[in-house]
Amino acid sequence: MAARATEHAEALQLLVADDPAAAPGPGENDSMPRVLLIEDDRETATEVMAELVERGFEVDWAATGIEGLDKARAGNADALIVDRLLPGMDGLTIIEAVRQERIRTPVLVLSALGAVDDRVRGLRAGGDDYLTKPFALIELVARVEALLRRPAENRDTILRVGALELDLLSRTAKRGDRALELLPREFRLLEYMMRRKDQLLTRAMLFEEVWNYKFVPQSNLVDVHMGRLRRKVDMPDEQPMIHNVRGEGFILRAPA
Amino acid sequence: MFAAKGSFSVRLPEFMRTSTFRWTLVVSGAFALCILLMFGFVLAQAYAYMRVDVDGLITGIADSIIAKEGPERRIERLDEYLHVDPHGVKLGGLFAADGTRIAGNVESVPPELKLDAEPQLVSLVKVDASGSERRTSRALARRLPQGETLVLGRTDYEFVWIVHSVERALALGLIPALCLGLAAGAFLSIRAQRRVQEVNRKIQRIVAGELRERLPTQGTQDAFDKLATLVNGMLDEIEALIRSIAGVGDDIAHDLRTPLTRVRVGLERARQNARTADELRTAADQAIAGLDQSLAIITALLRITEIEHNRRLDGFRHVDLADLVREVGDLYEPIAEDKRVAFAVRAKEDVAVHGDRDLLFEAVANLVDNAVKFTPEGGRVEVSLQHAGEEAVVRVCDTGPGIPPGEGERVGRRFYRADKSRCAPGLGLGLSLVNAIVKLHGFRFSISGGPGCVAEIAGQLASA
Repeated sequence: MAARATEHAEALQLLVADDPAAAPGPGENDSMPRVLLIEDDRETATEVMAELVERGFEVDWAATGIEGLDKARAGNADALIVDRLLPGMDGLTIIEAVRQERIRTPVLVLSALGAVDDRVRGLRAGGDDYLTKPFALIELVARVEALLRRPAENRDTILRVGALELDLLSRTAKRGDRALELLPREFRLLEYMMRRKDQLLTRAMLFEEVWNYKFVPQSNLVDVHMGRLRRKVDMPDEQPMIHNVRGEGFILRAPA
Repeated sequence: MFAAKGSFSVRLPEFMRTSTFRWTLVVSGAFALCILLMFGFVLAQAYAYMRVDVDGLITGIADSIIAKEGPERRIERLDEYLHVDPHGVKLGGLFAADGTRIAGNVESVPPELKLDAEPQLVSLVKVDASGSERRTSRALARRLPQGETLVLGRTDYEFVWIVHSVERALALGLIPALCLGLAAGAFLSIRAQRRVQEVNRKIQRIVAGELRERLPTQGTQDAFDKLATLVNGMLDEIEALIRSIAGVGDDIAHDLRTPLTRVRVGLERARQNARTADELRTAADQAIAGLDQSLAIITALLRITEIEHNRRLDGFRHVDLADLVREVGDLYEPIAEDKRVAFAVRAKEDVAVHGDRDLLFEAVANLVDNAVKFTPEGGRVEVSLQHAGEEAVVRVCDTGPGIPPGEGERVGRRFYRADKSRCAPGLGLGLSLVNAIVKLHGFRFSISGGPGCVAEIAGQLASA
């Protein structure tokens, strides 16, 4: 596990080194993003914290709901990770309390309750994203990063990453002078990725956000669709922009 | 409950504390009271009637005696009256003005007997050859023209006799009836109690885990039997549920064991044999993949359970099936193409049903997923939407190996996979998920064919 994590950290580091301006976030200067983890299981917490620290986050840990609520209220964290089943308290209570005080810190809810209903309840209580236990650490990190770097409400009708250009009004895409023939799905997928350039996007995130489906597909649907998009975006003689992070997800970034 | 009523209740025999017995007591008591009131009424009526009768009689005799001329004729008449008296009920006496008895069987004129009044109830002393005795009687006294006093009376013999008869009747009727009532009460309550005890024993066995046990019924269709039948039906349902849960448990255990065993063996071998960090890393990756597969099985099972237990239909909306089928096709077309499987979607008709769009999407996607997965290169998958009569039919046809004959029923079971497809990746849970979703909607699901496979979901069209 540790070996794998290191490998990914290297990959991220590489990204940041490639294009520091395009990747504000982990590892940049002194403004390390602060994450408050409210989780009662010490072992889980230790692993999660180690992973987050390795990825350049500053992590604060609260083992109980009360402590977590106090720390969340202090408002020092850039993101909260809240376990739902805390001893003597539902994590949702914390989120509701925090939201009532108009603290808008993004919240990732962790839960062993995976039913659609539970998920809906978690998001309705003020959570921004919901991750079912057990989860891959990389999935957790990717989602925290996504929460921290949620695209600002952008009024631009043209998105640009490197030479890639997406016109939201005419629904056309081009890379440099080369026009890309995209199907509607592919267009949505590319738009989603361009709004989140330089972020690791996991299959589950893409499936939930781009396709809007809550179920777990049996086949590697995301890979196949991504493969098609990739063949259109990256021609063999061009620098690749869509990167497959081994077994974990995809990143779109401008060539160096 | 009974303990609170004190030690008195506790010492009673068990059956006396049943409500059946208590009610029997109450009813018997009320019954006895009614009988007593009835007899009392009869007695009062009889007495009133007899009094009128007796009063009339002695008044008539007194008048007939007074009507006689001369003392001798009167004495003669009185003696004649007193003479015929088999029960010794007649009383009479003629007394001189100074109170001495001239004739008759009454010893003296009692001071409380009013002269020339209506007959009244007094105590008279009767004298005859055998001695004297005091008798309660209806009597009157009349003053004769020569100053003598005539007393006539009749004892309460008849009334006492009637009272005795009533007492005997009560003794012979009411007491046995009461005893019978109590006995019946005791019998019923003991019987009810036995049944309760029997039920109690059975329930204790059920609670102890003997789920096959059922409450006894006697085929009498009484309230007790009906209740027992009801409870037995409930127990049948619970038993079936528990068995199905146990079955799921077995299935989980079976399908989780395979990937977990692989993980374990892989890790064990890597610890012993791996020489480089890369080799260890590869083993760890394989272990994670194996664990992910196990977790996916659990997730899928929980999802099926979630759908099966979802009784809320308020999330149901008008669902445009044509749109849904096209969307599924859109999602799977690239996958089929990658596999070099021809893929066609025919959903031109405007067909809609009432349901949960996300779930229906999941069901159709699962069928298409299966079809694409099991169809070999060069094969063909076709998804079509039609309406046949009142029904919307989504049909997924493929040219894969199909379902072996006779197994069409079993495919919906959890973890079912036709042996031929054991090697294809998948969890074997897709079709039971489809089944659960279809059941929730009240639609029909069928799968048949081989070689080639036709899976159909048919559901009632939504009213526009």
